[in-house]
Amino acid sequence: MFLTVTKTLLEGFSTNIFIFCITLILAIPLGLVIAMGSMCKFKPLSFLTRVFVWIIRGTPLMLQLILVMYGPGLIWGYNGLSRIDATLIAFVINYAAYFSEIYRGGIESIPKGQYEAGYVLGLSKVQVFFKVVIMQVVKRIVAPMSNEIITLVKDTSLANTIAVIEITRTAQNYIAERALIWPLFYSGAFYLLFCGILTILFNYIEKKFDYYRG
Amino acid sequence: MAILCAKNIKKSFGKTEVLKGVDLEIEKGEVVAIIGPSGSGKSTLLRCLNKLEKVQDGTIVFDGEIIAQNGKYKSDKELRPVIKRLGMVFQNFNLFPQKTVLQNVIEAPVLVNKMPKDEAIKEAEKLLLEVGLSDKTNSYPCELSGGQQQRVAIARALAMKPDLMLFDEPTSALDPELTGEVLNVMKSLAKKQMTMIIVTHEIGFAKEAASRVVFMDGGHIVEEGRPYDVLENPKNERTKQFLQRVLR
Repeated sequence: MFLTVTKTLLEGFSTNIFIFCITLILAIPLGLVIAMGSMCKFKPLSFLTRVFVWIIRGTPLMLQLILVMYGPGLIWGYNGLSRIDATLIAFVINYAAYFSEIYRGGIESIPKGQYEAGYVLGLSKVQVFFKVVIMQVVKRIVAPMSNEIITLVKDTSLANTIAVIEITRTAQNYIAERALIWPLFYSGAFYLLFCGILTILFNYIEKKFDYYRG
Repeated sequence: MAILCAKNIKKSFGKTEVLKGVDLEIEKGEVVAIIGPSGSGKSTLLRCLNKLEKVQDGTIVFDGEIIAQNGKYKSDKELRPVIKRLGMVFQNFNLFPQKTVLQNVIEAPVLVNKMPKDEAIKEAEKLLLEVGLSDKTNSYPCELSGGQQQRVAIARALAMKPDLMLFDEPTSALDPELTGEVLNVMKSLAKKQMTMIIVTHEIGFAKEAASRVVFMDGGHIVEEGRPYDVLENPKNERTKQFLQRVLR
């Protein structure tokens, strides 16, 4: 029994890992684009970007999932979006907004002197950003990003809201079909193990940046 | 002929007028020390020369190239070839913390001047030897003392082979016992006829190494001349007061 449950839960958890990976792959670069938008000197663009981030951060992810899943059908009569697609869209947008604020904080924390030093040496703005600033930003955002990424692992269970068959839904099925509650508690171990691995990985990355201060 | 000519430089921060029509000409090979009380506009003047701050009015010409005309600067892109010939050393060093000493020095020659990396390394090693840091090439800035960091910053600026060096209070952030090593490097540059503008509080250094001393106060150049004349026999009352206070 235990092995069967483990196997079923593992299958469910593979969906969580899939959501997690795709979200990271897409939200990390998209977050940078949003961060650039919110720091843009063209005021209307930075205003719109900040309003967007405010809306995304100011409403529950669960609500956003429901909106992406059922919104197009209700508004335009479009029902072609699969459950997993809707999940991925909502997650990518939501996490990109959070990441963008972490990036913005990191970029704005770099002292002005670093930009000035690059400028007086004749570097272009792009060169200053990519050759001087970005690695310093990465060092500064490793801790807040790891925090957010660990939250993402657990948030993947929210896909359950729009009936995506992931680990929590699989575990709940045991309650409904067999009156077994322990698989639900047991599902926590999968998250715990995965987050443990991530924690070790982030500690390793943080250590990698320990070679300098500043 | 003057290598740098700044005319009628005016600069305000909000309603505060910091530079009220300053004229400054620098001849090739000159070492000009700018002294004056805090808030007199000396650092701002220096920073206006390479567009780290923007003037509201005035013209700046460097070696025949217009940097700003009647308060209007050329674009950053147009200025890049000119700016890189104006080396600058900051009060807070502004070294790149994630790069080693050597990487700090070769970064711009390789990236901007497209110098082959091995050639840049050779040049950098030579410069680091000159500033007395040949044993620190692989250290990171955080492993160095303030004086050592500032000497790296000087080597980094020199690596671009500048025609004029701007020093913005290069020893102000250093412990008194570390200022000597930085000033010695600057003195040796002066001996090599490097044209330099140095904003400083080191009156002794100005007396010894400068060929001209400029005293600024309240956004004006109040007095200028040979170090002996300005520092030993100042004519202006304000200069006298300032020197009495700092030399007491």
